Amino acid sequence: MAQLFPRWTNKTPLYTIIGLTASLVIIIFLFWYYGSPKNTDVGYRPDQPIDYSHKLHAGDLGIDCRYCHWGVDKSPHANVPSTKTCMNCHTLVGTDNEKLLPVRESWATKEPIQWVRVHKVPDYAYFDHSAHVNAGVGCISCHGNVAEMEKVIQVEPLSMSWCLDCHRNPDEQLRPVSEVTNMNWVKPSDHKQFVENWKKEKNINPPVDCSGCHR
Amino acid sequence: MSLTKNREYWRSLDQLDETPEFKKFHESEFPEAMDEAGDQVSRRKFLGLMGASMALAGMASCRRPVEKIVPHIIPPEDMVPGVAVEYNTTMPFGNGAYGLTVRTYDGRPIKLEGNPKHPSTLGSSSTFIQGEILNLYDPDRSKSVLFNGGERTWDDFVVAWRELYTKGLDTKGEGMAVISTSFSSPTLVRLAKEFQKNLPNARWIVYDPISDENIFKGIKAATGRDLIPNYRFDRAKVILSLDSDFMHLERESIAAARGFADGRRVESTEDEMNRLYVVEGALSLTGSMADHRLRVANSRIGAFAAALANELQTLGIQIPGFNVASNDVNFDSTWINALAKDLAAHKGECVVVAGRGQSIAVHALVLAINSALGNLGETIEFRTADDDFLPNANDLAVLKSDIDNKNISTLLIIGGNPKYDAPFEINFKNIENVIHLADRINETSKLATWHIPQAHFLESWGDAQAVDGLISTIQPLIEPLHGGKSDVEVLNIFATGEDARGYDIVRETWESILPRGDFENAWRKALHDGVTENNTRTINPGIQPSGVEKALQYYAVDTASQHSFEIVLKPSTHVYDGRYNNNGWLLENPDPITKLTWDNAALLSPNSANELGVQKNDIVTITVNKKKLKLPVWIVHGMADFVVSIALGFGRDASGRVGNGIGGNAYKLRSNVNSFIETDASIEKDRGTYELVSSQDHGSMEGRPLVREGSIDEYKEEPHFAQEMVEHPPLQSLWKEHKYETGYQWGLTIDLNTCIGCGACTVACQSENNIAVVGKEQVGHGREMHWIRVDRYFEGDTDDPELVHQPVGCQHCEMAPCEGVCPVAATVHDSEGLNLMVYNRCVGTRYCSNNCPYKVRRFNFFNYIKDYPETIKMAQNPNVAVRSRGVMEKCTYCLQRINEAKLKAKQEGREVKDGEFMTACQQACPTQAITFGNILDPESKIAKAKASERNYAMLGEYNLKPRTSYLAKLRNPNPELA
Repeated sequence: MAQLFPRWTNKTPLYTIIGLTASLVIIIFLFWYYGSPKNTDVGYRPDQPIDYSHKLHAGDLGIDCRYCHWGVDKSPHANVPSTKTCMNCHTLVGTDNEKLLPVRESWATKEPIQWVRVHKVPDYAYFDHSAHVNAGVGCISCHGNVAEMEKVIQVEPLSMSWCLDCHRNPDEQLRPVSEVTNMNWVKPSDHKQFVENWKKEKNINPPVDCSGCHR
Repeated sequence: MSLTKNREYWRSLDQLDETPEFKKFHESEFPEAMDEAGDQVSRRKFLGLMGASMALAGMASCRRPVEKIVPHIIPPEDMVPGVAVEYNTTMPFGNGAYGLTVRTYDGRPIKLEGNPKHPSTLGSSSTFIQGEILNLYDPDRSKSVLFNGGERTWDDFVVAWRELYTKGLDTKGEGMAVISTSFSSPTLVRLAKEFQKNLPNARWIVYDPISDENIFKGIKAATGRDLIPNYRFDRAKVILSLDSDFMHLERESIAAARGFADGRRVESTEDEMNRLYVVEGALSLTGSMADHRLRVANSRIGAFAAALANELQTLGIQIPGFNVASNDVNFDSTWINALAKDLAAHKGECVVVAGRGQSIAVHALVLAINSALGNLGETIEFRTADDDFLPNANDLAVLKSDIDNKNISTLLIIGGNPKYDAPFEINFKNIENVIHLADRINETSKLATWHIPQAHFLESWGDAQAVDGLISTIQPLIEPLHGGKSDVEVLNIFATGEDARGYDIVRETWESILPRGDFENAWRKALHDGVTENNTRTINPGIQPSGVEKALQYYAVDTASQHSFEIVLKPSTHVYDGRYNNNGWLLENPDPITKLTWDNAALLSPNSANELGVQKNDIVTITVNKKKLKLPVWIVHGMADFVVSIALGFGRDASGRVGNGIGGNAYKLRSNVNSFIETDASIEKDRGTYELVSSQDHGSMEGRPLVREGSIDEYKEEPHFAQEMVEHPPLQSLWKEHKYETGYQWGLTIDLNTCIGCGACTVACQSENNIAVVGKEQVGHGREMHWIRVDRYFEGDTDDPELVHQPVGCQHCEMAPCEGVCPVAATVHDSEGLNLMVYNRCVGTRYCSNNCPYKVRRFNFFNYIKDYPETIKMAQNPNVAVRSRGVMEKCTYCLQRINEAKLKAKQEGREVKDGEFMTACQQACPTQAITFGNILDPESKIAKAKASERNYAMLGEYNLKPRTSYLAKLRNPNPELA
């Protein structure tokens, strides 16, 4: 009697196992990568209602971040500037600039400008800007070099593991409070010494318990 | 020590009798199975739906939703978005005032606390104060001016009123009448007087549905003056309450509870305690705190007062104006004798206080007794009330007949609801113009020609006067949400025809209150502090014996023993006079004594119920004064026999989506506007039953010594009695114990000796922590979400038991049993000793709750927050995550407040100071029974409380090491009655 199955079928179980394992790995990888904030959030660069350039204002003109985001060292929220803040300058500068039309409109109609949020941690994570800024964490650590961005883009994943990486080892991100908004600051050679003193002085001891951020 | 060791505690008749109903509750962790959810979704359909939504969720989560940031156009000065700001204001309450500190976020008030500088709150609050936030954001508040039911604008009303006003000026207000509640606010008094000046023939009726009229009139009878009493319970060593729930539902209850607790606080064996005697029929919260309680039907309290006066006279204390002969009444003579001796031995250090339900004569007599005992000016102070608008019940009855005779053409109602709460029907159809200011379109508004939406006090300018004459400011924390008008603005237009801003009106009054020279600064300071300085005005009046005598002439002592039922009407612990009828927090907060939620009932003693042949939930028909009311029965140990107690404020049909149709309206049983006791009632069993829902058996803990108590003498003899009540082998851990020896280590104690069980902590916690309201049906399934429940235990004689209250929240065990059984590590410990709940990890197995010996974990069986109206969302605390369906939650020790304080301290380069912040329950507690802080700081209050001899850990014998501990309760019985 002829063989019912050809010889090659002997290897079917092996191939099946290899195939299944491979596809499982691929599926896991896909979820692990595509589902993670590294993919979903990093690179997010939405259009804003106004073609506002951080590069021009913060970079070329050198306006301090806190001129507009004045709540950053006082409040959990950094604060997006009110129309009034724009108009402080733009009643004198660029009064006929077409790009500024929405600002002037908002000023005239008293309808607020609706900015699109770029950086967001979930509602159940209570991030506090003032805690970080006053501890000497630079803006650049989380937001990237905003002074070189025409349009703001998210460069860090802002995920919990990313937060915890720094909370467990904050040394690299600490700098003098006076340099917090400085995008071009470079670590001096005695940075290690500074960090040691600074952590002692300000009792810097970032929480790694759940209760640090979640309530 | 036999007293302490053999006490048996129970919570309900069901528990004593071990009924199947009780067994069902305490044998299973979650008494009702999940599958009887309200909406009928079969398991198969559920899985189908879940599958579909999973697939959709998978697709949707790849794209983040676009979120907008909308900044101000011109930012308000000094406002930092995201940073809480606190303002001081005042909550008017009848002719009293509660000074408050209000926390606001981004312009929305979210939490009320007492203003420590105000004499009526002293930094604490009550359930009602906490509930006001929900009243502010009530979606059922009225949103527009109405004319005969059609929408109008405020300007339309102004035009219409000016026409009436001009006509009124010609006739000097003939045919006009005003109904207002009582008030003592300087601005309202000024405007009311102006009204009376401009329209002298108009009538002014002061009508409070729950009125202190008899108190004021009794004092007036005895002294000849209008005076407001201010009881100083803190100075009293012996307190006698005659049907007065002074710690809870009478006027100035917060300060009274604090005073009582201050006289009772024991820190060492050297300290002394006050002694509280309570004589009452219906069991009240104050009665539950009594060292000696005598059950006397409320209608016979007067006879008791006379018997006491006689007994005092025989001890040589002359009661001015009292000459009622000694009557043969059947009171316990040993009891009265011991009480009289105790009072006589504490002249000037005792106080007798009668409840608002008692007659004018009783109040006059009580004042005479206090005067004879030398208490006036010592434990009772007075302020003059010559300018106050005090209630007068008779005026409303006269007005009713005038309306019937068509003598009234214009009726102005400022903030009352007489259609609902007057005992008789007022014929509104006979009045041409009824103008009604109310916060919602209530029963009266529906009959009014003009309805004006009333601004909440958190939206208004105003002022108020406290019990000692201190004047405080009311300032708005938010613009009127629905364009409401304040009583000040409305009264101003009534009085002058001018439409002015509340701010200007109040400021005008204050120009004469504050020093002239530096008004602007003084005004700003008054607004900042919420109170003014040095304008309290207390006086010490003399007693006019003839006045007392005259008052007593009208008063015959009923010597007959009681034979028929009497009805006792009380303000509701849930809704007070009905004003909180649409308030879910307050309706769901269990009554301190009955633990009933969401209803009122006919409360009966077990004997009365036997007499009538009724059981709990049976419907009875109550007939009194030819009026009938059907109510379900609830049996309460400790009620006097033949007394039926009913809470007022229920049975409304126009309060809103939450309150409509709940309970029965007992106002309609009244014989007159100001009666709280109706004798000669008949009660008959009716057909059918109605299921009342009580939380009294929830979270039962099976006869372990959870509450521990002793007498003050036992304590002095054996200070560590509480810790010695449980004997156990040396505690050994199954695993290596974590050491909590550095940083902050939070802990909390609750002093059972001063806890009065009022439930302010529960509602404060609900407000602070965004805790959902679940509704009556869910409470019936044992699914209430309160993070603190207040357990109430009966002990001793089933007819005349003693009570203990014990608030129980998460105990934050260092060796937490919940943590070990969670399969997903959703409940874990942090380095500061807190037991944390990580909502996002929780998958809802509920193992943690099964393993929790204290039964303090709460599970979200449904998405209770899903259908919150927009305005209710505004009441949520932005610093606390809002929980969704399927997660467990529980007390966090107010983690958000801990973090805020820690952050502030860190930024200021220091450690958190002791007492710098409080948990919400601690801050609200009127008696300061709760202490919280860092147990590692030896100087902290909490470390001292934990070191107290009375400190014990509930179920400490299981080596759970709870961070919450209790200080054992003490009683101070009179040795002669022991």
